[in-house]
Amino acid sequence: MSAAPRVDAAVNLGGISLRNAVLTASGTFGYGAEFAPFFDLHSIGGFVAKSLTVEPRHGNAPPRIVETPAGMLNSIGLENVGVDAFIREKLPAIPDGVPVIASCFGTEVDEYAEVCKRLTGVPKVVGLEINASCPHVKSGGIEFGQDARLLGSLVRAARRASGLPLLVKLSPNVTSISEMARVCEGEGASGISLINAVLALEVDAFARRPVLRNTLGGLSGPAIRPIALRMVWEARRAVRLPICGIGGIATAEDAVKFLLCGATAVQVGTANYLNPMAASEVAQGIAAYAAEHGFERVSDLVGALESPPG
Amino acid sequence: MNEPTTAIRADAEIVENRADGGSTWRLRLRVDGWRGYRAGQFAMLSPGPLTGALRWDPLLPRPMAIYRVSAPQAGDAAQLEVLYKVVGRGTALLAGARPGDRVRLVGPLGNGFPEPADGERVIVVGGGTGIASLFAFACHAAARAPVLGLLGASTAGEIMGLEDFRDRGIPLRTSTEDGSEGTRGRVTDLLEAALAEPATSRTAGGPASARATVYACGPTAMMRRCAEIAAARGSRCLVSLENHMACGFGVCLGCAAPLAKEGFALVCRDGPVFDASSIDWAGLP
Repeated sequence: MSAAPRVDAAVNLGGISLRNAVLTASGTFGYGAEFAPFFDLHSIGGFVAKSLTVEPRHGNAPPRIVETPAGMLNSIGLENVGVDAFIREKLPAIPDGVPVIASCFGTEVDEYAEVCKRLTGVPKVVGLEINASCPHVKSGGIEFGQDARLLGSLVRAARRASGLPLLVKLSPNVTSISEMARVCEGEGASGISLINAVLALEVDAFARRPVLRNTLGGLSGPAIRPIALRMVWEARRAVRLPICGIGGIATAEDAVKFLLCGATAVQVGTANYLNPMAASEVAQGIAAYAAEHGFERVSDLVGALESPPG
Repeated sequence: MNEPTTAIRADAEIVENRADGGSTWRLRLRVDGWRGYRAGQFAMLSPGPLTGALRWDPLLPRPMAIYRVSAPQAGDAAQLEVLYKVVGRGTALLAGARPGDRVRLVGPLGNGFPEPADGERVIVVGGGTGIASLFAFACHAAARAPVLGLLGASTAGEIMGLEDFRDRGIPLRTSTEDGSEGTRGRVTDLLEAALAEPATSRTAGGPASARATVYACGPTAMMRRCAEIAAARGSRCLVSLENHMACGFGVCLGCAAPLAKEGFALVCRDGPVFDASSIDWAGLP
């Protein structure tokens, strides 16, 4: 029995060097420490922390979550400890050598810029991800990611505020993801992450009212995977920016689909709840797939989707 | 040992999964690598047995109280028991699982009940499926303090684990809404009566006193009523809250419980056991 061929799993996502292509999605991985009982954080590329705002936020009143077919809705309301407490208390608890991408949110452009600024130069933070959409937060009105002009002004301000690699997490609640991808490219983003959760609704037919206290929520999980995959595929055709694929990824096979469609790296989100070891297993599985199918480097999978015959 | 341990993920083998009287089911799992738990902690179980093919629906694991865990016998793994009722698709699938099937378990999770203080009189109040959260604690406390168990359900046969409580010799009073077992009425009526009894002797199961602490689990309205009754008598009340959960270990932030002062606690991480006076009961869904 021969030894498995060595696969180079490392990727570079918009200037961020990652030991492998698997990150975990903002809001699904806490501040990292919660997963320590389940796997060594060094077995994945890194994680994207819960979105941070200038001031701490309590979040929305419950109910905040509901299960839906092959998915779930969430309306958490961006509960977070605030950027200063994150730097002071959460970062030191993260093991050395685990890259952290800090997710930034604000209700106004100035707030985003302030969060970006405070995180720049902080140890362990290797990049920033701008959360340009939150389907369920009332203040802030329309999602930044739903309006090309607003999105452009946001990316421009974030770019000015920080020299760190800057990913923009796009909202799927748009007519043209390609247009939004082009806006980000035009304003100097280092890369784009897509997709965030899909705006959705669940009602209780017997209580005759919405299940979530905030009415609308963001749909995530396997149910949105085909939507996310389509949008990654479209974005890849629209821009040259590196793409981080997100949406219903639960297995290595799912992740490979996103790489084939043009993602340089992926984020595992909701799947962390069904299986706390999911991200680690996906990373191992991608390497196993590459070895089995003759790819010396995982990065050779990126965009390797072939066209249908005929 | 009654201490929380670091949570594990285990694909646990079903040893037994049977109807347990009324609408209750009893599930027993062999859990390799189980290190121990504190009474009152819970586990997240996959909504049904793991199958060869991946299944995404129902998607999320279900929180289940740890009813009890029997210590490993020579060379064998610990066996963890859960009592449950079929209330939705996840529990329906679980009820169809057979010995030899595997269920994904993440646990132990949550804080569990605190140790009773010296001289404390423990009153455990269980309503409906809430009883399952209290058995391990009642047994643990009974070795250290006088314990009185007040258990209530809709009808006879629906008082989960009643025989187990009796087998352990825990002094009990029961109630059913239709009067088919014990006192006719609600378990909160039993609590009112117990706390109203004059403080006399310290015998186990005897009259309660102002040094009683109430440990309650059941429907939200029931726990809220227990909190009111206890407060009126100057007794402390601890409740084990239920909530819809996705992750169960403090990451998704879905299981928020509003606090009386401000903000929210997470039932999975900061609870499920809370001092009743810290909760904003009006804000609990």
